[in-house]
Amino acid sequence: MSLFNKLAVLVALGLAAPAFADNPYRLKPGAGGELCLECHLTIQETMELPHVHTPVKEGDCSDCHNPHTSAHGQLLAVEEGEICGMCHDDIVPDEPRSVHAAIIEGNCNSCHDPHASQHANGLTEAGNQLCFSCHDAMATKLGNARFPHAPAADDCLTCHDPHASTEAEFLLTQETSALCADCHDASNATFVERHMGYPVAESRCTSCHDPHGGDTSGIFLANVHAPLTRKMCNQCHGDPSSPDALTTKKVGQELCRGCHSKELNEIQARSRVHWPVVDDTSCLHCHNPHASNESGLLTAPTTAMCGSCHENSVKMLDAAAFKHAPAAEGNCSVCHDPHASDNLLLMQSARIEDLCSNCHDWSSHTSHPIGEGLTDQRNMNVTMDCMSCHEAHGSSFRAVLAKDPRGDLCVDCHQRIAK
Amino acid sequence: MRDLRNGLVVLLAMFFFAGSVAAQDVKLRPMRPIYIDSLGAAIRAPEGVAYDGSSRLVVADTGNRRLLVFEVSEDSISPSAEYRVSQVPLPVRVRFDSGGGILALDAKSHQIARLSSTGTFKSFVEIEPASGRRSVAVKGFELDADDNLYVLDAAGARIVVLDAAGVLQRSIAFAPEVGFLSDLTVNAAGAVFAIDSVERRVFVARKGDEALSPLTDVMDEDMAFPTAIAADGSGYLYISDRGGSGIVVVGDNGSFHGRHSGRGRSQGFLWYPSGLAAGGDYLFVADRGNNRVQVFSISR
Repeated sequence: MSLFNKLAVLVALGLAAPAFADNPYRLKPGAGGELCLECHLTIQETMELPHVHTPVKEGDCSDCHNPHTSAHGQLLAVEEGEICGMCHDDIVPDEPRSVHAAIIEGNCNSCHDPHASQHANGLTEAGNQLCFSCHDAMATKLGNARFPHAPAADDCLTCHDPHASTEAEFLLTQETSALCADCHDASNATFVERHMGYPVAESRCTSCHDPHGGDTSGIFLANVHAPLTRKMCNQCHGDPSSPDALTTKKVGQELCRGCHSKELNEIQARSRVHWPVVDDTSCLHCHNPHASNESGLLTAPTTAMCGSCHENSVKMLDAAAFKHAPAAEGNCSVCHDPHASDNLLLMQSARIEDLCSNCHDWSSHTSHPIGEGLTDQRNMNVTMDCMSCHEAHGSSFRAVLAKDPRGDLCVDCHQRIAK
Repeated sequence: MRDLRNGLVVLLAMFFFAGSVAAQDVKLRPMRPIYIDSLGAAIRAPEGVAYDGSSRLVVADTGNRRLLVFEVSEDSISPSAEYRVSQVPLPVRVRFDSGGGILALDAKSHQIARLSSTGTFKSFVEIEPASGRRSVAVKGFELDADDNLYVLDAAGARIVVLDAAGVLQRSIAFAPEVGFLSDLTVNAAGAVFAIDSVERRVFVARKGDEALSPLTDVMDEDMAFPTAIAADGSGYLYISDRGGSGIVVVGDNGSFHGRHSGRGRSQGFLWYPSGLAAGGDYLFVADRGNNRVQVFSISR
């Protein structure tokens, strides 16, 4: 090629380069999104809704979707749980005290439609109905309450942040006392009178009141400690006018002993006292001294409360395919005494057979001998009992058996059968 | 140059290999468990065990409300004495002092009793409640080589250290991360280690520390509900995982050295194990649910 021809080729290439650089893949106009609508007609209809997601509105489908291939569903550019965070990375603040489970699970679509919606912010439902689609127990509670708390019935977002909170647990926008004070003036004469003159402005209101509603005009929690019902706060606390009015007259179980001496004496008489009962906090580890929605004024449902220390038992139970009914229902006290016992593991009975026979007639379901005098072949110091074959909480096998009944369960003891 | 590079590769390979070996470098070999006393009566729900490192083993035979002493030799472990102490109706932790005396913790009164070497009650260890607290509730204790007594006071949220005469030497505060501490041990360097049943991690206070601090991360993959801990003289801590029926070995620097045994009735297995004691090449475990003391030989 002559020098002239080489120069001509170079000039031609130079002229073509800018156009190629602007559109290296030679995309058709609207390839970022508008073209998609030619096939995806439902999206076109969706765009007529009043609230359209900005990328959809601007025809930038490829902001979220890969037009060719993807390792993720819906041809999403990244995992569904991460895609929203590519733009909305400030939804969860630094060091939150609580985060909505839907966000932790990356399930933004449970509340928001990613394309368009009838409702502001792309919400799939309006107001409380959206929250009730998951929190259906709350819908029932509010519906059944004789005195629903108006802000809760009107709009959950009066008190809760739907995404996360740096201020409080349960997605509350402020700590409880401050939140309540937005509407309830603690200096108001009626407020003072109703609270017997005690300086409760800084107290945790939910210790007595159900913030969602209840069957009493004071929206008290379902079960109220008797002294509180009788407005006898000074049975436990100082005089309302004293500087330490809210301080209790005694500490821990010494205070409770004033009324519950019989129960506490019975507890102390046992050989083994549950450790939370032993220290100064004592009863208050598990019981709310004012009110509770749980029976026995427990601070939480039994599974959650016992599980706060015995997490391993709860986890094991969750993972079990077959669960022992009392454990699955959170009735730990069917088998264990939560306060004290003379028996190992705070069992209600010394002999496992006695405990189990409260619900199960073992003699009718098996011909396998158990009981005193029948030694476990694996261990000369252990007699055969229900636990020789069954687990107490849950297992992978039917009837909460400890091992596979088609093999290891029997062979573990009856080795000759295996041979 | 190539030789140098090859040398580095070999060194790196050795480093990683050494790391993988470290996780399994303590082996526990089950030996014949201890089932009976000198009269052939069965041990019942033992919760504590102590070994003097050479010849004497004491078992808190809790279910039978007594202490049993055994003579340990190279080829046998033989029952030698039984002590029933009315002041200690429910012994759950035991230790030997340097003079052969026995200290025993009673689960009902939460007090530590000092006994002579022949099991005669001498006195209870006197401990003042922590500031602002009304009572002391001892959950666990340990002695060091100088007979200093380290007491885990659950009611006072502290560990108190008393000298051999019972005089308070210092108090070690719990760390804010603590859930519920069940037991403690002391190594030869005077470091105190405590096991947290709820958080499933080990805390440490080195000599001179005023408070515990975490030694390990939360070990919820390795332990279910650990309740006892014992140090040997070789830099290892043995943890009895009652909820998971196993033994976890941790270095006194917090390194993980394996999980051993498992839930079962046969020799070598455990059923809700309780206290343990390590000394020489032996690990003794009060195998509560199996009504026996499980013995392991340790190879490091």
